Amino acid sequence: MKALSVLVAIGFIVGVIFVLSALAYLVGGWLGGAAWVSNLLILLLGFVMIIATFLTLAERKWSAMMQDRIGPNRATINVPGLRGRPLGGVFHVATDAIKMLTKEDFRPKVADPLLFGLAPILAFAPVLALFAVVPVGPVVRVKFDWFFIHANSPVGLQVSNPNFGMLWIFAIASLAVYGTSLAGWASNNKFALLGGVRASSQMISYEVALGLGLIGVMMAFSSVRIPDLIAGQTAMLWGSEGELGWLGKVGIPAWGIFLQPVGFIVFFAAAFAETKRAPFDVPEGESEIIGYFVEYSGMKFGLFMISEFAEVVILAAITTALFLGGWTFGFGFDSTLTRYFTSRDLGWLLGAIYATWFWVKVLILCYVQLAIRWTFPRFRYDQIQSLGWKILLPLALANIFITGALILLDPSLRSLAVVGVLEIGFVLALTLKRAEPAGGHDSHDAHGTADAHGHATAPLPGAAAASHH
Amino acid sequence: MAYKASKNPTTDLRERLFIPELLRGLAITTRHFLRNLFNPRDTNTQVVDRKGANLVSTVSYPEEKTPYPPGYRGLHRLVPRDDGKPRCVACYMCATICPAQCIYIEAGEYETGDPAGESRVIEKFPTQFVIDELRCIVCGLCVDACPKDAIRMDTGLHVPSEYTRSGFVWDIPKLLQGPPVSHPSDPWNKRPGSAPPQHQHREAHTRIGEGLVPLKLPGGEPHKRTEVTDQAIPVTRFLKE
Repeated sequence: MKALSVLVAIGFIVGVIFVLSALAYLVGGWLGGAAWVSNLLILLLGFVMIIATFLTLAERKWSAMMQDRIGPNRATINVPGLRGRPLGGVFHVATDAIKMLTKEDFRPKVADPLLFGLAPILAFAPVLALFAVVPVGPVVRVKFDWFFIHANSPVGLQVSNPNFGMLWIFAIASLAVYGTSLAGWASNNKFALLGGVRASSQMISYEVALGLGLIGVMMAFSSVRIPDLIAGQTAMLWGSEGELGWLGKVGIPAWGIFLQPVGFIVFFAAAFAETKRAPFDVPEGESEIIGYFVEYSGMKFGLFMISEFAEVVILAAITTALFLGGWTFGFGFDSTLTRYFTSRDLGWLLGAIYATWFWVKVLILCYVQLAIRWTFPRFRYDQIQSLGWKILLPLALANIFITGALILLDPSLRSLAVVGVLEIGFVLALTLKRAEPAGGHDSHDAHGTADAHGHATAPLPGAAAASHH
Repeated sequence: MAYKASKNPTTDLRERLFIPELLRGLAITTRHFLRNLFNPRDTNTQVVDRKGANLVSTVSYPEEKTPYPPGYRGLHRLVPRDDGKPRCVACYMCATICPAQCIYIEAGEYETGDPAGESRVIEKFPTQFVIDELRCIVCGLCVDACPKDAIRMDTGLHVPSEYTRSGFVWDIPKLLQGPPVSHPSDPWNKRPGSAPPQHQHREAHTRIGEGLVPLKLPGGEPHKRTEVTDQAIPVTRFLKE
């Protein structure tokens, strides 16, 4: 019964996403050349902001479930049929918003009035601007003719498609540090300043690894435009010769995660540090210093919080686009689906299906980020710096050299994919390996198989391990 | 056994690579998440007896209440007699033994010549019996001390919430509740000459100040009663007067 209602809720969410995506395509087709307006409104305000808003609830509810608690369920609406039903605590979104908007907007007397007000804006605006270059759905020809509304134009769910694509992401992502460091400085508070300094040093150190982690993907597909990268990922590395019935062309796609698992790890860790969420939440550090927003209240604090969750959504979207094949199904089904809908002039339906699939991937990655946040304890400050400079940076550099060499060796990317899949398999095999029983080390010592330091390690199997050190 | 921290912990390749351990940690949280998401929560208030795959061990209080153990006492009450008046004879034993000093009693005396009185069997009755529920520590000493079985802690209730502190100062109309109690040894049952009392309901169980017998004090002036109002009256004020 509960499983059924959970499935119904998931289906409802997917349905809402599908309807919104179809709406975005139809309105975009009607607007024609000005489709970026509808994309701006529906993608940024509709999708990113709504998902970010609901993530504030999901963070509390999902963390409760991971920790065997119930979570927020007290807010109910006194309407017949809904009376006393918390509906998974969904009304807490509304109560939170009302709380944020009606709290006193307090400004300390000693704070810098201009910068104090500017900081939340500077923290929030770059986050939304980041999403402008992320394509959600493919470019399809939207063609319909209903009453007095006509449309016949190609529409893609992307606010803008500049030829500098990923460079925009690097540039704007580094702007977000201004908001946090200004908030720390303008509050005129020691702890806020500490938080701001921590945030800026952390974000600047991970900027390098963030950029270098993505170089491999750019090299593999020889482009910095994200739609080109997604188009590159639709190609099959190994696939069937023809189409297998309704499954279409089946095979292993050239997804970024198969080609660049190390790049994926480096990028994801670095971008996670950029979002300043646990385990990288030293700038916030609610148990030591409250962080750069300690003096903020009301909706100004709400802006900091919502920008953090918007960063989660956007990190998930960029990761999906660069490493998980964007909107494509990948392993099959793509060619038949495209042919079926384009031959019937239902391009908007095809686009809506693909966009829904994109958002489903994004939501799954959002879950992964929240699970990471609720699984791992906070890094110490020196651990953060040494992870960024001593591990991720050399790893990214080594990855770039290996990737470049393999691409030169084999332009079909297959040898790159072989190395990548081997790395993934190695990590998975280590993960699934049975843990040694308690006291296992002692027996090793007794048999003399452990080395002088008691390290009972298997011999390293080759290149995959080497690239991690 | 003390935990032995080693300066040279044995870490195998999996732990040094970090990512497999991260994945295993994520698997644990995700397993808990999915079990709690897809399985209904057993609402058995005895958490150790819960069945099913859901791991939540919360007892969601206002909807689910853990039954109290048999020895639970709860809010005290003044025990009524069969005729509805309190059994209390204003002997001050409970007020004397109370370690929190939360009981305040004013004794009244029956007129000797009053035909409606019961001076043959009972001489005193409480004109005021006030307990400050915020000071009470629910120790039960008053129950043990009472020679007349006039105060009991058998309701099993909590003190209900109030908006003012004075709301927690309970007087006879609020304290006098529950089933009446009668013992064969009660004087009005025991003495052969005692007829059933022909009293008027003008004593403590009626509203305070209503038809009350005025106390005769040495100065001859009428007894000044303390009115229970909405304003906060600490019970210490009663005691120091």
